[in-house]
Amino acid sequence: MTDPSRIRNFSIIAHIDHGKSTLADRVLQLTHTIADRDMQDQVLDSMDIERERGITIKAQAVRVMYDADDGHTYQLNLIDTPGHVDFTYEVSRSLAACEGVILVVDAAQGVEAQTVANALMAMNANLEIIPLINKIDLPAADPERVRHEIEEGLAIPAEGAVLASGKTGEGVRDALEAVVRLIPPPAGSADAPLKALIFDSYFDTYRGVVALIRVVDGSVTRGMKVRMMASSTVTDVEEVGVRRPANMPVDSLGVGEVGYLITGLKDPSLVKVGDTVTLAKHGATHPLPGYREVKPMVYTGLYPIDGDQYPDLRDALERLTLNDPALVWDPESSHALGFGFRVGFLGLLHMEVVKERLEREFGLDLLATAPSVEYHAHRTSGEMLTVHSPQDMPDPGHLERVEEPFLKVTVLVPPDYVGPVMELADQRRATFKDMQYLSATTVEMHYEMPLAELIMDFFDQLKSRTKGYASLDYEYIGYRESSLVKLDILLAGKPVDALSFIVHKDKAYPRGKVLTEKLREIIPRQMFEVPIQAAIGSKIISRETVRAKRKDVLAKCYGGDITRKRKLLEKQKEGKKRMKSVGSVEIPQEAFMAILKVDE
Amino acid sequence: MSENLTLPRHLYVHVPLCRSKCAYCGFYSGATCSSSIPEHGVTLGLIRQAEGWLRRDLPAAALDTLYIGGGTPTVLGGGLPLLVASIARSFGLTEGAEVTVEANPDSLDARLVRMLPSAGVTRVSLGVQSFEEEELRALKRPHDTGQAKRCADEVLSAGLEISVDLMCGIPGQTLESWERSLGCAIELGCGHLSVYPLSLEEGTPLADQVEAGHVVLPTDDEVATMLEHAAVALASAGLARYEVASFARSGCESRHNTAYWTGAEYLGVGPSAHGMLSVRTAEALGVAKATNRTARVRYSVPADVCEGLESDPPLELEHLSADEVLREDAMLGMRMAAGITDELAAMAGATGALSELEDDGLVMHIEGRWRMNPSRWLLGNEVFGRIWLRDRV
Repeated sequence: MTDPSRIRNFSIIAHIDHGKSTLADRVLQLTHTIADRDMQDQVLDSMDIERERGITIKAQAVRVMYDADDGHTYQLNLIDTPGHVDFTYEVSRSLAACEGVILVVDAAQGVEAQTVANALMAMNANLEIIPLINKIDLPAADPERVRHEIEEGLAIPAEGAVLASGKTGEGVRDALEAVVRLIPPPAGSADAPLKALIFDSYFDTYRGVVALIRVVDGSVTRGMKVRMMASSTVTDVEEVGVRRPANMPVDSLGVGEVGYLITGLKDPSLVKVGDTVTLAKHGATHPLPGYREVKPMVYTGLYPIDGDQYPDLRDALERLTLNDPALVWDPESSHALGFGFRVGFLGLLHMEVVKERLEREFGLDLLATAPSVEYHAHRTSGEMLTVHSPQDMPDPGHLERVEEPFLKVTVLVPPDYVGPVMELADQRRATFKDMQYLSATTVEMHYEMPLAELIMDFFDQLKSRTKGYASLDYEYIGYRESSLVKLDILLAGKPVDALSFIVHKDKAYPRGKVLTEKLREIIPRQMFEVPIQAAIGSKIISRETVRAKRKDVLAKCYGGDITRKRKLLEKQKEGKKRMKSVGSVEIPQEAFMAILKVDE
Repeated sequence: MSENLTLPRHLYVHVPLCRSKCAYCGFYSGATCSSSIPEHGVTLGLIRQAEGWLRRDLPAAALDTLYIGGGTPTVLGGGLPLLVASIARSFGLTEGAEVTVEANPDSLDARLVRMLPSAGVTRVSLGVQSFEEEELRALKRPHDTGQAKRCADEVLSAGLEISVDLMCGIPGQTLESWERSLGCAIELGCGHLSVYPLSLEEGTPLADQVEAGHVVLPTDDEVATMLEHAAVALASAGLARYEVASFARSGCESRHNTAYWTGAEYLGVGPSAHGMLSVRTAEALGVAKATNRTARVRYSVPADVCEGLESDPPLELEHLSADEVLREDAMLGMRMAAGITDELAAMAGATGALSELEDDGLVMHIEGRWRMNPSRWLLGNEVFGRIWLRDRV
């Protein structure tokens, strides 16, 4: 166990693409934690998707030993946090394991929405903030302007900001010196009963759940009996260790130390992020603050294109959930799509990542229905129903009111684009709250809006209307009553459940109209005329028609054409396979996502 | 075992030459070494390869049909009658055999026409495509409408039957211009017409022009209307649709093409020609070994002009199982107005699909035969596809 005065626990926080992971790589190299020959890019992002997309999804912790200018060797624990608003709670728990952060700001891009959001989280957690202006080797780098933005926009003194380049390694040592000098050592009592914070976990096929922990008080030793306070689970400590970044067992972890804990528990739901580990007997009476049950924000139906893959999809979801307890799912069935699952995600990115992993790592071909949120439907009987799928929305006659989740949304944008943002916000039922200049080049706008509107390609629209300049952050603020209706789509007179969605009453008509038009373009001509209707209850609000196909490819078919003809027919059939037939109508997969791309 | 077997009674010869390439042609007629093979060399090569089949271990049967296609067979000039006469002599022809040559109006002159009947030719298939100058130019056809009409007259006055190819969906074509072309063909007095839409083949100059937006094709709906009008106009002129894309006066139906659609064996000679043999015939000819998984063998001659003209070229084989043979016969049989018997439908496992298609109004079940609903010919692929793939909704 190390003397706490020689320990520093910190995290690197940044807006996406500001160079956090590359900077972490340099820290590992500089401290010889990883030999140069073993170095690969973004060591701490272990998933392919993390590397490809340049985002961090799982938190990581790594211990490095740093020989500081004061002649002492320090134990530095770098806790890498997820870099996306979907994972706000996870970030807050990672930050709770630190005493300080390095706030990375791109020397060319400057302060962006997540820079602000992350800095605020660090401030709320009372952490020491070391500003670091990264990518100073870029031709477009303007450290002076960025320094100014940090001071003006975030009220963080930045005259001493570290100037660095993750690419060249310049300034990385300065950053570590600042960590040693400015970030306080962990304060905790070695004599108090054990209190350790679980800030992430992952599943190991052989060892079960591995928890990443930060010891606050006391110490945790192999062989000890411990209790997870929120899940009230008592278990033995099979192994404790530190990550460098491979697991290295140690006898115990003391005050301020960061490492991993293996208990032999196989059920990830018993090892919750944010929970406190204490002694089984005579343990702490109060857990560490900040624990919260993680709740999904966005739901979608996932269906295998090939119905035979249903059991494979279930197995794959089970396996992903081991490493990602935030993923929740329930079997669901649709007349149109057959058997599938209604899956809840922390946010849109989380959804995309999970779908991509299911397809890529498990070889599944999936169809996703348009995402929806969790509605609270209050029946006239007084009963409240949580609705994750439009199919489950009760009949309007039995509804007293419906509530939907609202967000506080922060948009950072150059002043020239304030107009387009306001226009978009207006279309998305967003209520303007206030706006302020962070600097001459950045305006911060605050809105309150329904989550349901945000998940309708709001971010893509925001980006395209601001030529990519706007950045976005949001936080959940609670449920509010809205005037919502369920819009059904009927094909050839039959409602297609998987195409139903819930929409604000005032937008039902234009959205129904655009969607039917869109579907007319997407649905290929069939042997019969296919009417497409949008309806609220029994009232048809718009109608389009896919006219009947009049001819398919006809050609001469002589001796040499026969083989080719057969192949053509087979190819045609393959094309059809990728569509879903609902009754007699063949629907291409993209139809199910068309709702998302509707701009009236 | 092979005592009853003979060579097929149908022979197709592919002449791999063209004077120029049409804008829509995706066919391999590029002469990789044609400069080194003069036209008479091609003629002799084809004769040698055809006669090669006679030297194998099966007795010849007099040919019921012989079809010289291409490419442009008339490019052979005087070699064309020589080719026909040689094959007729060495294989023998049945009484009333159908001997067709394909011809392009630009390379079929009066002298050549006069030589054809004595060589044994009974029928000329004329690649007209359109009787509108603009449309011929858009297709880069090497002839004009005057040549086409003159040619047709000469063929008819030589006592030969004539078939005309007409194409719809040509850039710039309208319903009116299409009807004019149809009218010309009817007026010429031809007994047989092949009518089909232009199909855009990837990599052809026309496909490139369409992609670049320099050329606009008639829409699918316009083409459908053209095909519907053609059926009406031809029927009232006494030419009945006996196959999806073929119309004929009674007795003028192409017996050679009918062989393709009714599961008859045929030999193919010349670069990229195809042949079809029962597995027993194929084995007797030394083409393929019989296995219990193979019932029918389709073969193709290499497309390369040098290799494809060898007297014993390497053949590329496709094996079909007994089940595939039945489905193929059913699928091809449904191309014909006569349709298929209940028995074939049942053996091909197509009765279910056909019943569904009947419910959908695409096919009819009359007097123990399944056939296309004459008003739904344009959705033929739906029918053929469901039969071949044994696809039930």
